[in-house]
Amino acid sequence: MMPIEVGTVLYAGAIGLVVVGIAGIVLSHHLFRIILALVIAEAGANLLLVLSGFRWEAIAPIITGGDAVQTMVDPVPQAMVLTSIVIGVGVQALALSLTLRAYGAYKTLDIRELQRRMSADLAGEAGTPLPQSLEEPVGGRPLPAAEGDGR
Amino acid sequence: MNTIVLTVVLPLLAAFVVPVLSRVSPLLGRLLGPLTLAYAILLTLQVWLGMEGKPFSIALGGFQPPLGINFYVDRLSLLFTFLTLVTSLLLWPWRNETEPRQYALTLLLAASACGLVLSGDLFNIYVFYELISVASFGLAAATRSGAAFAASLRYLILSGLGSVLVLCGIAIVYLQTGTLNLAQLSQLAPETLNTPLGMSAFALILLGVGVKGELFPVNSWVPEVYAAASSRVSGLLAGLVSKLAVLVIVRLLVLLFQQESALQLMLILGLLGAISGELAAWRAKDMNRMLAFSSIGQLGVIFIAFSIPGKTGLFAGLALSLHHLLVKPALFLLAERWRGSLVGLRGAGLASPVAGGLFVLLALSLVGMPPLPGFWAKFLLFTGLAAQQSVIYQVALGVVLLSIVIEANYLFRVVMNLFQPAGDNSVAVTTDHGWLNLGTTFLLSALLIAGMLLMGPLGAWLEGVAMQAADPVLYFDTVFSVSAIH
Repeated sequence: MMPIEVGTVLYAGAIGLVVVGIAGIVLSHHLFRIILALVIAEAGANLLLVLSGFRWEAIAPIITGGDAVQTMVDPVPQAMVLTSIVIGVGVQALALSLTLRAYGAYKTLDIRELQRRMSADLAGEAGTPLPQSLEEPVGGRPLPAAEGDGR
Repeated sequence: MNTIVLTVVLPLLAAFVVPVLSRVSPLLGRLLGPLTLAYAILLTLQVWLGMEGKPFSIALGGFQPPLGINFYVDRLSLLFTFLTLVTSLLLWPWRNETEPRQYALTLLLAASACGLVLSGDLFNIYVFYELISVASFGLAAATRSGAAFAASLRYLILSGLGSVLVLCGIAIVYLQTGTLNLAQLSQLAPETLNTPLGMSAFALILLGVGVKGELFPVNSWVPEVYAAASSRVSGLLAGLVSKLAVLVIVRLLVLLFQQESALQLMLILGLLGAISGELAAWRAKDMNRMLAFSSIGQLGVIFIAFSIPGKTGLFAGLALSLHHLLVKPALFLLAERWRGSLVGLRGAGLASPVAGGLFVLLALSLVGMPPLPGFWAKFLLFTGLAAQQSVIYQVALGVVLLSIVIEANYLFRVVMNLFQPAGDNSVAVTTDHGWLNLGTTFLLSALLIAGMLLMGPLGAWLEGVAMQAADPVLYFDTVFSVSAIH
């Protein structure tokens, strides 16, 4: 069996984190989970960025008389990752505070419910009929309506 | 020449001073923002006159590129700096006495937009792009209604997904080339990025930046945010921020991704955006939603224009962008008092004939009525598309024509409605537009008419701008002779 290189594992991990995060954003309905999924995806992107300048044989750039530049890792991606982590934290904090506000207004953290109430709000404000839901079939249902189904 | 940096620094500084100053003196707080923007406009004009059409580059902090970050100043980036500042000044939230925070956010948006346009470094562009995002989330939520919070939250999530994609794209570019300086990349790109991996980097960046540019699959935030936010904010987002995203993509296409498949990907997404946006606008029942969907459609057409190879595409795309930047905010301003159902607008044009007349003028230009500037922009697009051999460009030509027909249909339906005598059962519409909104709309329409009268010289000048921007060799030479000019 061929040994698996550490680099391959790390790259696969970074891309995997991004994929897991994106899947979470698309598939979850709970707002807090969606924000956590965003955090995971950002972590994956940051790992990918820091990997792009990493060298396995590198050592810490302590000046000992030798050529430090030849033996250290590329510092540029590390500086960039710091910046992007900071940006990410800021955006996540903003997302949480907006979630609080939205929860205060609609008392729900389910994104589908939130969107339904928001559309109803906007349509009510504009004085137009409610937009047709994409998930509901148009026209009458073939089955007899169950008790209490009239939304 | 270095004063161009102040167009980023001064509004940024003012953005953080405004909230404090407003506590000390509300009057000074209200005046600081517009004064800063006006001064920045003056500075831009000064640089414009000083550069005599020749591009130059500024090494920030004295660190020479490719190690340091540089600002690249050519006619295109100066034009967009100027437009950013002027649009933010025109759409300044004047009426908002109680909210100095909104002043701060508008200033932050202006500063980061100038930085985005001028920057010559990919990661720097990403940082400014994120700053624009944060400012626009705040502005979108500024009406403080439940719907506005929910809409901006959904906008934020989609935008966050976009920035993850951009970061991945940047990581791939860095992995392949080892630099993020656009000038150096433009030299390395033909060898290193002309691969499937390079193409995937472009696709990631296109989708990520496309969130702001209302690109087809990532534009679901548009109708909600524009319906929930105030008209001035909607105008700013639809008119200015979307164009900045397009500008970033165009720079990358010219400098980094010259392969044909990159253009074709953008063309296909633009086609889907144009047709889906116009159809959704045709079905829309209220004013703001209609304008939002039609904005998606027009951005789609702009993406189509920029995907024509060479300077023809750049010229046509620039003309369409400028036209949209002028017309869309004006329509949103008119829509402020006309928000709500389109049926309820019956007779509103008769009640306030000036606003009705302006709406007709703007709608005609948007559709592309011959003497108006909108026609010339679309004419450039058609000649550009028709000159291409490939089948997909011929399909694009048909789709754009179809989208114009749909656009004309729904816009004229609104115009018909505006000028019909009000029936008994119609809702009473507010006819008072307020002198501020009407004045701004009037100014934008006057600019439109002026553009029509000066079409000859304006076209020639814009072609010059496009020629200069379409030249990657010039970009490289300018940035790396920086010490000579410095």
